[in-house]
Amino acid sequence: MAGLFDRFAPLMGQRDALFGDSGVNPFSVKMDRVLSQTEAMIEGRRTILVGTNNYLGLTFAPEALKAAHDALEASGTGTTGSRMANGTYSCHKGLEDTLCDFFGKEHAMVFSTGFLANIGILSTLMGPDDYIVMDADCHASIYDGVRGGSAQIIRFKHNDAADLDKRLARLADKPGNKLIVIEGIYSMLGDKAPLAEIVAVKKKYENVYLLSDEAHSLGVLGKYGRGLPEEVGCEDDVDFIVGTFSKSVGTVGGFCVSNHPDFETLRLVCRAYIFTASLPPSVVASATVNLGLVKNGGALRKRLMRNAQQLHAGLTAIGLKVASENSPVVAVVAPDPQVAVAFWRGLIEAGVYVNLALPPATPYGYSLLRASLCAAHTEEQLNKVIAIFAQVAAKVGLAAPVEHKRSAVG
Amino acid sequence: MNDSGPEPSADTLAALFEILKSFNKTGAELSPGTRFTEDLNFDSLVVMEFIAVVEDSFDISVPLNILPDVATIKDLAIAVEKIVAADK
Repeated sequence: MAGLFDRFAPLMGQRDALFGDSGVNPFSVKMDRVLSQTEAMIEGRRTILVGTNNYLGLTFAPEALKAAHDALEASGTGTTGSRMANGTYSCHKGLEDTLCDFFGKEHAMVFSTGFLANIGILSTLMGPDDYIVMDADCHASIYDGVRGGSAQIIRFKHNDAADLDKRLARLADKPGNKLIVIEGIYSMLGDKAPLAEIVAVKKKYENVYLLSDEAHSLGVLGKYGRGLPEEVGCEDDVDFIVGTFSKSVGTVGGFCVSNHPDFETLRLVCRAYIFTASLPPSVVASATVNLGLVKNGGALRKRLMRNAQQLHAGLTAIGLKVASENSPVVAVVAPDPQVAVAFWRGLIEAGVYVNLALPPATPYGYSLLRASLCAAHTEEQLNKVIAIFAQVAAKVGLAAPVEHKRSAVG
Repeated sequence: MNDSGPEPSADTLAALFEILKSFNKTGAELSPGTRFTEDLNFDSLVVMEFIAVVEDSFDISVPLNILPDVATIKDLAIAVEKIVAADK
């Protein structure tokens, strides 16, 4: 008889081979004390955080802290109920109204996390006769969401509007609705969707809807932070926007907004909305206040992009291969997982925290040191980060430019 | 599901064998009964890259929904032929 966890043995073997049984690893690292949006104590060291997705640095916004404290005192630590049962307070409806106002949309639904928003919407929206045509590099929550539903799932090549066109053309004569699923900014490499081209393809066909996950672009792109559709100027062509409060909004929770006239139906059929506890009032208060700061956060967005440019330029200058330009995600490509692990360890031991991302969680089988910027990073902090990257790069033998490497035939 | 039912054409199998050459890291002998996970050691990432090449080669879209039922090269050949026929 096979043991309960036997099928994970190869994975655990890989982990042990990569990380050994000594030294810090990403599965055990913990922040003992968070000092600010950009610093924490890790293993007794004051560490600069360059991997938090806290793009605008709103986790300590005084206005949100006060609103959260007030809500905590007034309404308690939790709702102890789902949105459909006893878990809808006026603040939840208020947050949905704030989202409608923020995006200029008719309808908004708040979920307990961004992951759940994707699970809920993508498993429910399309039925057995419908088709989901998704970008191959979409997030795990999108994959799990579409797999939880009944539609046929087809992938198109990452950021390839021509490939999307080809796949929609094959479906043109089939009855049923089609839903294109993309992300505004892809989380691992920080690259943007070619939204104008995707919208042009969408318009060639009938019964095609477009959903964009703006998890990493909300607050980051667009004059008012409404993400890639605002930046590109095609907000009316994106039928559903999914997003999270856990990145630029600085707390936790997820949402979907839309102008579809029947959108409210989802409240009765979306299981990830109906059967999970609603957000605590203090979190709802944080999100509501911070959405206002996001909207008026033009100065923060400028600082974020300036910081991103500084880190990108600094890391490129020392000969590292960096995936995307002009993105708040700065992902350094390492030649293999072993070098990536040594690099990550060197950084954390020198007081710099980034995300270690390894295949299969990464596109093209890349091994990545993924940094994400914060508007609150100072020029001095980033200079220090770049200097430490240079030292560690030399130590792990990565002073010269790294060639792209794929895990299989590409 | 490879024990009964329709037989794929030799052409379809040959085309899949040809694509699989560059994905065959274990050096396993390729036959209709070769299994992707057990014999070829395909993980989820390789499966996705391999399917993308199959889609290009046959000019089809392979829904992810069918993958749990595809264990062998023969299973995939039958599935590909079904999709090609449905697209006509």
